[in-house]
Amino acid sequence: MKKSFAVFWKRNLAFAKLAIVSNLEYRLNYFIDVIVQPVLTTGIEILLWFAVFKGAQSTTINGFGREFYLSYALWSAFFARIAASWMYEFKMIEEVSSGSINSLIVRPMGFYEYYLSQLMGYKLITTVISMIVPIIAAYYFDLPTHFMRIPIAIALCFYYLILVHTISFLVSCAAFHFTKITSFTVAKNLMLWILTGELFPLDLIPGIWKDRLIALPFSSGVFLPVGYITGRVGIESVVNGFISVTFSIIVLNFLGAWLWKKGLDSYAGTGA
Amino acid sequence: MHSIILKFKKYFFLYMAMFKASFIADLEYRANFFTRILTDVFWYIAQIATFEVLFKHTQKIGDWDVHQMRVFLGLLFVIDAFYMIIIHENLENMSEKVRKGDLDLLLAKPVNSQFMITLQKANTALIGNLILGTSWLLYSLAGLDHFNYYRLFWLLMLIPCSLVVIYSMRFIFSATAVIFTRSENLQFLWWQVYRIGMRPDSMYNPFIKWIILSVIPVGIIVSIPARALLNPPNYFYIFWPVILVPILLFLTNRFWKFALKFYTSASS
Repeated sequence: MKKSFAVFWKRNLAFAKLAIVSNLEYRLNYFIDVIVQPVLTTGIEILLWFAVFKGAQSTTINGFGREFYLSYALWSAFFARIAASWMYEFKMIEEVSSGSINSLIVRPMGFYEYYLSQLMGYKLITTVISMIVPIIAAYYFDLPTHFMRIPIAIALCFYYLILVHTISFLVSCAAFHFTKITSFTVAKNLMLWILTGELFPLDLIPGIWKDRLIALPFSSGVFLPVGYITGRVGIESVVNGFISVTFSIIVLNFLGAWLWKKGLDSYAGTGA
Repeated sequence: MHSIILKFKKYFFLYMAMFKASFIADLEYRANFFTRILTDVFWYIAQIATFEVLFKHTQKIGDWDVHQMRVFLGLLFVIDAFYMIIIHENLENMSEKVRKGDLDLLLAKPVNSQFMITLQKANTALIGNLILGTSWLLYSLAGLDHFNYYRLFWLLMLIPCSLVVIYSMRFIFSATAVIFTRSENLQFLWWQVYRIGMRPDSMYNPFIKWIILSVIPVGIIVSIPARALLNPPNYFYIFWPVILVPILLFLTNRFWKFALKFYTSASS
């Protein structure tokens, strides 16, 4: 038992390292991905919040002052970069569609774990490098930030990544039946763009929609971790986030296992 | 003059043939065809939801209220739909064409290579999005008090100008792939630059506003057509894109020729 876990751990660590090395290969590309893009997003969102407060002619919106929204805009851009999976989902779809998955399914490892470990490795290095920017900016501009809460917020975001990866796995299973489904990824990620709270804090939504959207597991990607860091939500919301994500991971993994089996049954070995 | 007309006819019929081929190809993958429409519907919802939620907490953003912002978004959807149908897919795939050596085939054809790389593939599935975007624009215009519908004629001139502005900027981002071979994230960077233009120019301070209307003219894409519809005509703003269009087209052509000097061909 102990030995098999050690093998499993070593194998997945190697996948994670592979992802780190391959992503750092093109450094300019990587630098733009993890630093320049979220910095630009932050800039655009901060300008929007300045305009919103100017139009509102009020010092607070929904009980929070302008600094809270600037802090949210800053952190959300960086958390959103971590919480989304584009590249690995495209790769997984491509493996299935092109038939190159043949070389993976004959190896003593799972397709799911192979890409999960790579995704985690990639996101780990992204977090280490990119989070320096909001930490320094929040400290320098004295934006409302509970620095001690950052580790729990990142833990929730990484836990949410397992759910994101499970959804990617479901989409790639669909590639067994449909030849060209990359637009599923785009549609799904755009939907998550709204549901995670990247665009605006979800507690600004009026009426019953607010509670419903926050209760969904997707709020654990951006709104809950960032809300926790910036003081919009407490630890109980974060715990609810962990529970909600756990439940979704279990359900979707069962669905994924079923779709994978069905997909392999219909797979001819030469691509979809 | 006669040769120019013949050339124009040749390129026009060539484009029509490529458009027809794209339509047939798009229909082949029907699930993808419908998800592409759905994708943009999510994008529209995201844009609308953002501003509708924000306007629950403020009266104005920049110079405009919620009704005017809906018109701005309607124009954004229409212009973006045209761009997505005609140009987007070609420039999106340029990096891959360079890496796989497909660019060789285009360069060897007896037609302008910039024309081919820009217009070879149309995304006909998104005609549905154009209909949706136009519907939203008309709905939002109906929500305005005393709107002068004759102002819609400005769009005949300003939408093509907006398309050229998007095209020129996106093209320069994409053509960097010829120089750097791998520049996917520079393409994502384009998306961030484009996002600046997806917000009304009045939201920005005077310096940023000047930048986005002249140096990096993303502010022209939607803000100027929206101003032409919503505000009394300011002829400087209306004719500035017309002056800018030939300059941008010239610059893209120069940049393309410059980038091609770095092309070493991947297929050999």
